[in-house]
Amino acid sequence: MTAPFDDSIFNAWLDAELTPERRAEVEAWLRDHPLDAARVRLWAADREALRSQLDSVLAEPVPAHLTRLVLRGPSATHWRHWQARAAAFALFALGVAVGAGLMWRSRIDATQTVSGAPTPMAWVQRAAVAHSVYVPEVRHAVEVKAQEEHLSRWLTKRLAVPVQLFDLREQGFELVGGRLLPDAAGPSAQLMYQALPANDGESDPSLKPARVTVYLRKPDASTPAAFRYEQQGALGMFYWIEGDSAHGAATGYALVGELPRERLLALAEAIHKQGASMP
Amino acid sequence: MDAPLAFRRQLLDAIPRLRRYARSLVFDSHGADDLVQTTLERALAHWHQFDQRRDILLWAVSIAHNAFMDDRRREKRQPALDAYESYDDRADELPAPGVDIGLRIDLLAALRRLPVEQREPLLLVSLEQLSYADCAQALGIPIGTVMSRVSRGRAALRELLDGKPPRSTSGLRRVV
Repeated sequence: MTAPFDDSIFNAWLDAELTPERRAEVEAWLRDHPLDAARVRLWAADREALRSQLDSVLAEPVPAHLTRLVLRGPSATHWRHWQARAAAFALFALGVAVGAGLMWRSRIDATQTVSGAPTPMAWVQRAAVAHSVYVPEVRHAVEVKAQEEHLSRWLTKRLAVPVQLFDLREQGFELVGGRLLPDAAGPSAQLMYQALPANDGESDPSLKPARVTVYLRKPDASTPAAFRYEQQGALGMFYWIEGDSAHGAATGYALVGELPRERLLALAEAIHKQGASMP
Repeated sequence: MDAPLAFRRQLLDAIPRLRRYARSLVFDSHGADDLVQTTLERALAHWHQFDQRRDILLWAVSIAHNAFMDDRRREKRQPALDAYESYDDRADELPAPGVDIGLRIDLLAALRRLPVEQREPLLLVSLEQLSYADCAQALGIPIGTVMSRVSRGRAALRELLDGKPPRSTSGLRRVV
């Protein structure tokens, strides 16, 4: 006598894929048909054997190169990052040594990025390079720490524009400190912020906290004020002018970081709000 | 932009199961980890396409399946070199299931002899305990196909373990 079910239904029963009514029908059949029941039991036994043979793979330590790949990104990208940083530092150092505008140009159309493609904004490129140079620093990430009272006064005096120490704690970042940049085109400064440790158990203590930098300068009159975003490799940058550059009362900002755009935007908006509300 | 940390932690947690799945497809542990590496690289490159509400393992299994299929297609185009055997060629090394009823081959050897189309759904359902629906989605096949392949795969596996050559059944039960 043939069963009203084909084997795939017995398998579906084994895999708990049947509706309660169907399941009851199949179980009733199996109770009365020992040969079919024996076949299904063998499939179940084979399944158990498969699990116990292959579960040992689950217990194996994960090869280090796979963990590194996920936590740090493919090694090719890592190498490109490192190369770009090294090249940026070489450019920067050369600019300082020469002391003139060879590496740094304020003409909008005349600048090359590290990769060789022309950018619209020379100063934004300088902000990106300054970010790459100083963010990896552990001991001397900043020249003057946030706790030192004179940071804001000192930078304001040197830049001839008001320098405000923005509070980004609500966005998850705290001020580390700031520095003057040896920018041949005119004085500029960098504020460095570091991600606050999260309490959510998500952050990996072995990874360095994320850092963003805010590059500030007195913009020249021709710089457009529009809020803009650019991406260079893993670096995202928001840049804009606050205030009135035509009357020399403006400050140019560039926020640089390796963060998802939305997160960077939240920081940029906070800076903009705090900057715009200054007397 | 690089994948965010939360995504990377989820992906990290999925690695052991991905390794097990790759090992049951490729068998050789280096080849299996190569498949896992390719899978992780592609997952990291396409992180922005991953819907956070989904189970990352299902998504990663789908990527692994495609990578595995790409490898097989590439092998078919290039004739296998001495140093590099195709996955299914290994099956020829094994003794044919004997006429002698007493001859048994071990479980992994039997698994290896299953056609890949049966092996994949069988592993995902039996080992990873995916529902038929999730398995269908991961492999990009209809649920009905999952059902019939799981059924044929289990029957074939059992027959191999019994020392009989696998026959391509249509899934209908034998007349008793």
